[in-house]
Amino acid sequence: MNQRIRRLALALLVLYAVLFVQLNFIQVGRKASLDADVRNTRQTVRDFDEPRGPILTAEGVVIAESRRTEPGSTYSWQRVYPEGELFAHLTGYFTLAYGATQVERVMNDVLSGNTAEQQLSGVWSVFDTDDNSGSVTLTLDANVQQAAKDALGEREGSVVVLDVQTGAVKAMWSWPSFDPNVIADHDSAEAGVWLQFLDLLPSKPLLANAYQERYMPGSTFKVITTAAALEAGVVSLDTVFAEESQYLPPQTDDPIENYNGRSCGGDLTEVFRRSCNTPFARLSIDLGPSNMVEAATRFGIGEEVPFDLPSPAASAFGDVDYFVDNLPLLAIGGFGQGNTQMVPLHMAAIAAAIANRGTMMTPFAIDLTRDHDGKVLDRTEPTMWRQVMSPGVASTMVDLMKVVASSGTASCCLKLADGVVAAAKTGTAQLNGPGEPERSHAWMIGFAPADTPRYAFAVVLKGTNAEISAGTGGTLAGPVASKVMNAALRDR
Amino acid sequence: MAGLVTAGAYTLASLGQNAVIPSRILPFLGLMLLLLVSAHVAVRWLASGADSTLLPVAALLNGLGYVMIARLSERLAGLQTTWTFIGIAVFIAVLVFVERINDLSRYTWHFFAAGAGLLLLPLVPGLGFSSGGARIWVNLGPINFQPGEFAKLALALFFAGYLAERGRLISTSTRRLGPFTIPEARDLLPLVAAWGFSVVIMVGQKDLGSSLLFFTLFVVMVWVATEKTSYLVIGLGLFVVACVVAYNLFDHVQTRVAVWLDPWSRYDGKGYQIAQAMFALGNGGVTGTGLGRGLPQRIPEAKNDFIFAAIGEEMGLLGATIVLLSFMVIIGAGLRIALRTQRPFEKLLATGLTTIIGVQAFIIIGGVIRVVPLTGITLPFVSYGGSSLVANYALLALLIRLSDVSARRLGEVPDTPMLSERWAARRARKRTDDVTTEVSDL
Repeated sequence: MNQRIRRLALALLVLYAVLFVQLNFIQVGRKASLDADVRNTRQTVRDFDEPRGPILTAEGVVIAESRRTEPGSTYSWQRVYPEGELFAHLTGYFTLAYGATQVERVMNDVLSGNTAEQQLSGVWSVFDTDDNSGSVTLTLDANVQQAAKDALGEREGSVVVLDVQTGAVKAMWSWPSFDPNVIADHDSAEAGVWLQFLDLLPSKPLLANAYQERYMPGSTFKVITTAAALEAGVVSLDTVFAEESQYLPPQTDDPIENYNGRSCGGDLTEVFRRSCNTPFARLSIDLGPSNMVEAATRFGIGEEVPFDLPSPAASAFGDVDYFVDNLPLLAIGGFGQGNTQMVPLHMAAIAAAIANRGTMMTPFAIDLTRDHDGKVLDRTEPTMWRQVMSPGVASTMVDLMKVVASSGTASCCLKLADGVVAAAKTGTAQLNGPGEPERSHAWMIGFAPADTPRYAFAVVLKGTNAEISAGTGGTLAGPVASKVMNAALRDR
Repeated sequence: MAGLVTAGAYTLASLGQNAVIPSRILPFLGLMLLLLVSAHVAVRWLASGADSTLLPVAALLNGLGYVMIARLSERLAGLQTTWTFIGIAVFIAVLVFVERINDLSRYTWHFFAAGAGLLLLPLVPGLGFSSGGARIWVNLGPINFQPGEFAKLALALFFAGYLAERGRLISTSTRRLGPFTIPEARDLLPLVAAWGFSVVIMVGQKDLGSSLLFFTLFVVMVWVATEKTSYLVIGLGLFVVACVVAYNLFDHVQTRVAVWLDPWSRYDGKGYQIAQAMFALGNGGVTGTGLGRGLPQRIPEAKNDFIFAAIGEEMGLLGATIVLLSFMVIIGAGLRIALRTQRPFEKLLATGLTTIIGVQAFIIIGGVIRVVPLTGITLPFVSYGGSSLVANYALLALLIRLSDVSARRLGEVPDTPMLSERWAARRARKRTDDVTTEVSDL
């Protein structure tokens, strides 16, 4: 019998070996094709069958949360965005068929409770509940955000407010926006049609224009040229620029004119206050291509704005080789025309840097994450992005910008409550070529209070309609900045 | 051995820790560990010479299954703890009451009657009922159970007793056909009877898995007992005939085969379960999704017949391989017991019991991962289910007793008195003491 028993053992061994081979075949060999099978909804269903934590503003306003669906629904949870389009560019959306964007995407692990830390703490909190989804708290202030939305109204553009010392984003609004509730609806077909429609719109509502797009900055760029020139010593507060209506840079016969062809001159404070063009064109040429490009690089132009949400844009100026052969473009680049392109968030960060003794902080919108029990998992520590100018130059820049706000191009329209003194720079970026209908972006950057700065801002209204194109940075962006900054300074 | 149990326990505990399982599981988990440790202590006390791998490996399977069940349903985890408790109690009871395993060979025909009775019980009107398509349940007042799980034990005992007695006789046939010795018609009768039983189960109860298991069990035992390959060939022949007939007669058999060959085109119907099992296994990959992080609840019957797919999803190829290896260890240990003992009855019984575990696990795992057509049956020690767990623990106790008996006989451990002998001795001593007392009173 023993021989038969040994054979039986061998036979069973072979059978189990077959099982092992088949198991490998399925779990390793065919894994990819099984996972890719359209009928295999394990990944999406898992995400939609589990609770997902909320996204909150700094003061605790819920801007995204998961609600239980009606009993009998295919999925247990529905993602809801109670504030509609107000925070769409921050939260993004979390969908069945179209993936996730923005905070919903980058913080997916925290929200769904899948970080290692949450999994671990889940072990100890088993006595409470099996829901270990986390929450994400943004730095944004719902009141300031709402003020930005109201102030901008239905005009294309962006508003950014930053805390000057930390780089925390207080408000970040772009119009047009979109309602993420429509896209997150489980009715994927309808959501798909809507997404396609939004994607085709030239105003790009799906993009967070405030940090994912860049625009010609116009005269707001003069803060960079001026700071660079002060730093290099080619200009000081005592420098006097001759009264002139135009300046002919090298390599061209086409002179540069001041705004509306006016005659403009005086000391640095005066030409900065009135936003003359010719002095800054001269400064650019005086500094030369390499110094100007170096200054731009020092300000972070050319690199993607380091931000904690996906796909930030990079501001652009140009490179040395190009400017050496195109000095007129360097000249007009010095006051933000030509090929110069700035990301609104970046402009706000530059204003904040001036207010923060030349230290430009890394902007961030995600303040902290918490586990299900409210314990803080991770808190964003403010970090320096770049030291863009010396504290001395920064202090001079503050003085220059205060004058712009008190008696310069911004004085008409930047009026803060309670007599708070602001510092600012306006910009009206001319988009049209000679002979074309007037088209311009209206900009304003600045900060307040001027002497003890708390918040910096950048406001841009895109030159996509006649009303904006006819206005200036001061008249159009000024009132928006006033309302937003009043809201920011009123808080706390 | 204690180390192995501890290792098993530790595995359990760490598995439990990684899981996203609700709180009330923890006490249950503790209780489970306590039960397994008490089973271990019982083995040390009652069968000190027993093979030291069987219980820890079974405990590991039980534990893996338990963790998976707990992850699927808190309520069932509680019940499974109860079943484990009863299972361990039966395990200890078998160790206590079955001391000289050879004694069991005296009850050969009782076991036959019991086995046959249990098998046919679900067919009794008013008593048996169907669930999940198979009529394998019996309702006795408050208790529902699957008598088939116990019948396989009784039949293994019967086959072992019957064949130990008649095996030689059957194999001494002189009729030959070509290279094969053909058994006498009279000796073929039991084989035909077993085949008949299997057919009855398959037709009457629609339980393909059990039918296949019983038949395999019997053919293997006859083959081992008689050492005649012809029985294997004839058995295989009968099996093929039964398969062909069943395939042609019964829709559900055809469906099973069709689903086995191609579950994908039947995704919205009968193929759904297998397709989901495939998705689950693929999802698991090598390391698995981690406990609580897969979607095994999407597989119908994940807690039961398809628990292997659930383990494959959440514990990956590694976890599934551990399950396969565990069964191989049990098979190895079981057949080693069969080889070591000298007595035919014990040899056959050990072979039969091991075959039950090994083949049953193969049938269901193979069914889940599409090596063979799916025939519903529980995965021993792992699947949820009271009848299955209790019967398998009883089976394990018999194997352990067999192992202990041969170890004593081989002198590997001192042949210390059995529990009943100790009691008898104590009673005798007491009587003597009483007599002495009387004497001193005088």
